[in-house]
Amino acid sequence: MMEAIKIGLEIHVAIPTKTKLFCSCNAYNEQEPNMSVCPICMGFPGSKPMLNAKALEIAKSVANALHSDIAKTISFERKVYFYPDLPKSFQITQLSNPISQGGFIELQSSKKIRIRRIQIEEDPAKILHEEDYSLIDFNRSGRPLLEIVTEPDIFNIDELKEFMNELKSILYYLGIDINTELKADVNVSNQGERVEVKNITGLKDMINAALFEIKRQEAARASGAIINKETRSYDGANMITVSMREKESDEEYGIIYEPDLGEYSIKNLPIIEPTYTNKIAKELAEKYSASEKLIIEQIMFDKNALQLINKFAGTYKINIVISAIEVLKRYNKTLDDEKFEALLIAISKNVLINSETINDIEQGKTIETSSEIDESLIDSAINSMLLENKQLLKDYVNNPKVFNFIIGQIAKKYNASPKYISTRLNILLPKFVAGK
Amino acid sequence: MNSIEEFYSLEKKSGYAESLFNDLSDINSRLNAFLNITRISGQNYPFSVKDNICVKNVETTANSKILKSYLPPFNATVVERMLSKNFDFIGKTNMDEFGFGTFGLNSERTPRNPFNEDYVAGGSSSGAAIATAVLKYHIAIAESTGGSISAPSAFCGVVGFTPTYGAVSRHGLIDYANSLDKIGLMSRSAKDIRYVFDIIKGPDNYDSTCIDIEKRKMQSDEGKGAKNTIFIINQINDLLDESVKSHFSGLVSKLENMGFAIKTIDFNLLDKAIPTYYIISMAEASTNLARYTGFKYGLKNNEFSKDYNSFFTESRSNFGTEAKRRIILGTFVRGASVKSKYYSKALKVRGLLIAKMKEILRQGFILSPTMPIMTPKIDDANSLTPVQNYGLDILTIPPNLSGFPHVSFPYDYDKGLPMGAQLISDHFEDYSLLDFVENWENSFKYQFKYNLGSI
Repeated sequence: MMEAIKIGLEIHVAIPTKTKLFCSCNAYNEQEPNMSVCPICMGFPGSKPMLNAKALEIAKSVANALHSDIAKTISFERKVYFYPDLPKSFQITQLSNPISQGGFIELQSSKKIRIRRIQIEEDPAKILHEEDYSLIDFNRSGRPLLEIVTEPDIFNIDELKEFMNELKSILYYLGIDINTELKADVNVSNQGERVEVKNITGLKDMINAALFEIKRQEAARASGAIINKETRSYDGANMITVSMREKESDEEYGIIYEPDLGEYSIKNLPIIEPTYTNKIAKELAEKYSASEKLIIEQIMFDKNALQLINKFAGTYKINIVISAIEVLKRYNKTLDDEKFEALLIAISKNVLINSETINDIEQGKTIETSSEIDESLIDSAINSMLLENKQLLKDYVNNPKVFNFIIGQIAKKYNASPKYISTRLNILLPKFVAGK
Repeated sequence: MNSIEEFYSLEKKSGYAESLFNDLSDINSRLNAFLNITRISGQNYPFSVKDNICVKNVETTANSKILKSYLPPFNATVVERMLSKNFDFIGKTNMDEFGFGTFGLNSERTPRNPFNEDYVAGGSSSGAAIATAVLKYHIAIAESTGGSISAPSAFCGVVGFTPTYGAVSRHGLIDYANSLDKIGLMSRSAKDIRYVFDIIKGPDNYDSTCIDIEKRKMQSDEGKGAKNTIFIINQINDLLDESVKSHFSGLVSKLENMGFAIKTIDFNLLDKAIPTYYIISMAEASTNLARYTGFKYGLKNNEFSKDYNSFFTESRSNFGTEAKRRIILGTFVRGASVKSKYYSKALKVRGLLIAKMKEILRQGFILSPTMPIMTPKIDDANSLTPVQNYGLDILTIPPNLSGFPHVSFPYDYDKGLPMGAQLISDHFEDYSLLDFVENWENSFKYQFKYNLGSI
């Protein structure tokens, strides 16, 4: 069956190197405009690009993680166009010998979204458009970018979201945070020609742009219009795409080989091993008979969580470990192994964890594991609540959801774990119901 | 003793530097060797720099209006290395705009031949060759893309040495065609060139195509060419002027008498060298010249109210005619619809040319006249069509296109004008060329009309 909707992506992420792709300027100097510049990234006459090996290493690691065929030797091309943000009036990018070709990301359904190619290129400068003038900041000029191009294998928005989440997680574990530096071109065809939506920033806009395009093309077809090959841009404020130009043919960049860089062998560059969190979550869930979903939520974008689970899940129940990780996140804490273990013990023994106890743990104080005080406090709260509201008990008999109301009230009042209250309530409530 | 050692061994009279400056300025107003002359102390050996090589805070324009008053913020590596050895920078030499020319005539200040001012000095490193021919103690840092060192060296009667591609760092060289550009030297003797080449060659952190030729020579089995065998390519016969032919056959006999084995060989691809060279060099040049848009350096366009396209177009109208021609042709040959017919094909032919020449150079040198014609008068050269003009590069283009080291040396004089021959060797065999010319200089004395700065 022909798929109605086909989505393909060209994703640009910044490669986190200290220096720029072709010079030794600081790549992420955000302080003062035009302070992190030199003759190379400003394109001054006589300057030549010098390739940053660290950027190659990271790009190679991404290619490896996406099962892409890594090239033995790579080379670069000049893509020529005139725009004030491009100091040399050409961008050094890759065409014929990119870092890698092929590859895939596997979704939960085992469907593989194929990768077409992965390449590195330099970022242009940043243009700040003011009302009647524009400013150029060359700090960004020459930052290393990674471009990941997929085949049009994404058939709906859910797949788009899952693909992007998975990609983000893989990149995150390789040290690339794409929350801040994600730019994409999204190609959407809905039973017609391919429409390219260019220069979208961020995942949310990617999804919105794809959604809009699917609906727009659907509506256009319904009204009898023909969808032509076209380039559009995304207007984030109004959440719509706007036509830039109808494509008769591909754009003319007059691309030639970059003679200043020659060919590089990347065979011997080291790689960072990939981490596939969905695979790991599945294995952990099976091993400890826990919820895969619960695990993946913890570890997808949290290396620390994964480390803690790997270290403590055998000794402690995985749910306890996850609860402890949630505590760390809730109170924004990091604990060394010894203190984390104290937290695990506290949770195992039903100690009420609030900002006070977590601070005690952080400071290495012994936690009173005889948690009578807390227990009695919660117990008496439950008791008094039930005594004062006879109606609640009546309601409970007819409607067990009342249970949640009680938990909510007490949890709020005493800043206590709903799980714990629920355990106590389970013990106390039958007595009341019985003694009514 | 080379002339550098000689210079330091001699006692300079007081006022030496002053009179050198005055004499040079005076002669420069007629010959146009220099675009600017720097006063030097007279204590150190002077070197000149072709205007497409950056000297920190000295106007460097590649002789183009579009870079007018550009002061580079850094020294080219070659300049840095010369200064570190206490050579004194004496000035920027005249050239065809961006290196685009065979005769030096794409310059607003016409360079003239020091042996006869009605004749061309050759290009594009015109000023470097003139300066070498008029100054007794001096070495010129020049640059060749397709013959820009050989051609003017031949017409001005000096030794012009173009090293293996990559032997000298291009950092600070204003690009014409990056895969072809080579910094080289001009001097009055091979000994001087050897001395300075030792200083400027070798890897550089600012040019990733720069290599260590000695290391490469040891690593590979390349450059084992027989040192006493010289090949003459059969196909050049039909290209030479009658009088070039007769002078050149005199040279061949002399070399035979000196003990060289002279052999003839076919090189059928020779006629493909010119289109291949011009396609690749113009394609690269058109991308290199894209950066000159009139708002970061050089000639500034202050019409900021214009839209980008009009702004760029207006700024870029300041290129000279030949630069414009090469931008247009270069942009055409890399266009998506014709790229496979021109640019990509030229890259393939270049590969074939390199392989074929290498086959020959493994067995010996290749020798030819440097130019197929006698030195033309300026007026005659000016009336050539671009295609006729490009055709005259037929003998200098093959080694340039293939990155083989080559040297042009004076071997005869005709009506007072010098004639040059060009010797090519295998990659990394740069020093065999200098050995050869040193040997030649033992039996042939170069003539000069001027010897400014004699002590």
